[in-house]
Amino acid sequence: MDELTIAMPKGRIFEEAYELLVGAGYDLPKELDDSRKLIVEAPNEKFRFILAKPMDVPTYVEHGVADIGIAGKDVLLEHDRDVHELLDLGISACYIATAGLPNTEMDEVTPRIATKYPAVASHYYRSKGEQVEIIELNGSIELAPLIGLSDRIVDIVSTGRTLKDNGLVEYEKIADITSRLIANPVSYRLKQQRITELVDKLREQVEK
Amino acid sequence: MTIEMFEKPLGMRDDFPVIAKQKANLRKQGTELIEQAGYELLQTPTLEYYETIGRISAISDDALFKLLDSQGKTLVLRPDMTSPIARVAASKLLREKMPIRLGYYSNVFRAQKREGGRPAEFEQMGVELIGDDSLYADAEVISLAWDILKQVGVGSARIVVGHTRLLELILADFGLDSEQSSKVRELFVAKNGVGVEQLSRELPISSNKLASFLALMQATTVADWKQWINNGNEEQIKLYHDMERLEELFKRNGLGDAITFDISFSSHMTYYTGLVFECYGAGSGFPLGSGGRYDGLMEQFGLQVGATGFGLRVDRLLESVSPEKIEEPQTLILFDEQSEQRAFEKAQQMRASGKRVTLQYAPAVQALEPFTDLFTEVIRGEALDNG
Repeated sequence: MDELTIAMPKGRIFEEAYELLVGAGYDLPKELDDSRKLIVEAPNEKFRFILAKPMDVPTYVEHGVADIGIAGKDVLLEHDRDVHELLDLGISACYIATAGLPNTEMDEVTPRIATKYPAVASHYYRSKGEQVEIIELNGSIELAPLIGLSDRIVDIVSTGRTLKDNGLVEYEKIADITSRLIANPVSYRLKQQRITELVDKLREQVEK
Repeated sequence: MTIEMFEKPLGMRDDFPVIAKQKANLRKQGTELIEQAGYELLQTPTLEYYETIGRISAISDDALFKLLDSQGKTLVLRPDMTSPIARVAASKLLREKMPIRLGYYSNVFRAQKREGGRPAEFEQMGVELIGDDSLYADAEVISLAWDILKQVGVGSARIVVGHTRLLELILADFGLDSEQSSKVRELFVAKNGVGVEQLSRELPISSNKLASFLALMQATTVADWKQWINNGNEEQIKLYHDMERLEELFKRNGLGDAITFDISFSSHMTYYTGLVFECYGAGSGFPLGSGGRYDGLMEQFGLQVGATGFGLRVDRLLESVSPEKIEEPQTLILFDEQSEQRAFEKAQQMRASGKRVTLQYAPAVQALEPFTDLFTEVIRGEALDNG
C-alpha cells in the first residue's frame, strides 16, 4: 500500500476533517493536532499528515510534496493552483461577500476595496464592469471602512457576527465556500486506487 | 527597480555543469531511441511569426514572449514544437513522402506568471508522425514515449489515455450542446469533480442518466468505457473497437499495467482531435509530457492528413530521474615553465587514448589544494620523466 501524504490546515478545519476521516473508518491516532509537530504519522493507515497554514495547502499539493490536501474553496479561488478538486467535504461552510457601512454608496470614480482576497475581489468587480482599487490587508479587514480606508470590503462571512459587532452590513454575496479535498494531478494517477477509495469513503460520510 | 547584476529575466535559468551534463545524457538516450524508431531529427527557428505559429500553437496568448522585428511585424519565441513541425511536414519537400517521421530536441519558451523560479524556457524532446491516421500510429508514439521514460529511468511511470472525439460524441449523447460540452471539458481538464457535480445540476441530463454522467471521471480501462458507447452510432463503435485493439496491443507489449484509460481525460491544448495522452512518473509533481492526435492542425497548412505525436519535458524528466553519479575520471596535469612541453605531450597522448585531461599552468592557481581535490588523478609536471 502506498503511503499517502495529506496536507491539512491547522485549527478548526483540521478538527472537522479529522472527524470525517475517523467517521469514514480510518484508524487515526488520537490528538493529532495537539503537539507542535508539523508532520504527524498515522502508521496504521500509512498516512502522513502535514500541518500547514490554510493558504499554503494548495501550494504543497500543487508541487506534489503532499499527494492530497484539504483546502477551503476561498483559497482555491484566490490562488489558481493546478490541483484536482475531488470532493466537496461540506465542512466549514461560509461565503465570500462584500460589506461596508450601512446606507453608503460606493465612490463614483474609483471605489476602494479592502480585502484578504485581492484576486477574488478584482475578478468580481471586473466581471461587473466596475473600476475599483484593491487594497490588500492581512487581517481585521472590518477596520478598513471604519477608519475611511475603503468603501467596501470583500471577506469571508460565516455567522455575520463580526460584521454586526463593527456596525457593518453585507451587500453582495460573491461565492459559497466549503472545504474541498484536493489532489496533485500526478499523485492522483500514480495512487489512483487509494485516492478514489478515500474519496468514496469520505463521500459516504459527507452525504450522511 | 534596478536590476541586480546576477539577475536573469523571469523564468530564465543558468544550467550549471552538473545539470548540463545530466541533460546531455538524457538527450543522448532519448534521441537515440527516437532515431532507432526511424524518426529524423530536425531543428526549426527560435523566432516565428505571431500571426502563424503564435496563433496556431494553442498556448495561451499571455504565455507567449512577443517581440517586434525591424519591419514592425510581431514575432514570438517558439512556444511549442508541434506547430512548426506541422509546417515543415506540409512543405513541398516533404509532403510527397508521407507518412513521415520527424523528431526533435529543442528549447521552447512560455512566459510564467506565477512565482519566481518556474522555468519559462525549457527543453522538450518528442516526435511527430504525420500522414498516418491509423491506430497503429497512435500505438507507435505512445510506445516510443514509454520506451524513453523507461530508458532514462523514470520510476512508477504511468500513461493516461483519453479520446477527444469519442468524449465529444458521448457528451453529445447526453444531450449537451457544444457550449455545455466545452464547459464540461474544461472541468475535466482540471479534473474538478466538485465543479462537474455542480454543473451537472444545470445541464439537461435526465435524472436516470446522472450517475452514468458523473461516472465518466472514474473509468480506468477500455471495458469501463463500454457503458457510454451508443450502439446505434457507427463512429462510436469504430472508435471503441480501435481503443480495444490498442489496449490489447499495449498488453502484448508489456505496458498494459502502466496505462490508465480515462475517457474524461482531456488536454488544455485545443488542437487535439483524437487520442490524447499524458505521462507521469514518481519524483515530479507535474506531468512529464503529453501528446495525441491533431489532424485539425495539419488542415491549417492545407493538408488533409492525420498526425500524432508527443513531447516530453526534459526539466521534469530530470526531477523524476535519480541522477546517476557519473564520475568520469578526470586527470589534471600541472606544469610550469620547465615541464611545459612534456606536460603538453603527455596530455595529447592521454587524450588520444580517450581520457579527459585538464592542463593547468601551476603558478596561475591561487589555492592549489582545493583545486587538485576536484580531480581523480593529479600528475605534476616535474614528475614527468625526461625520456
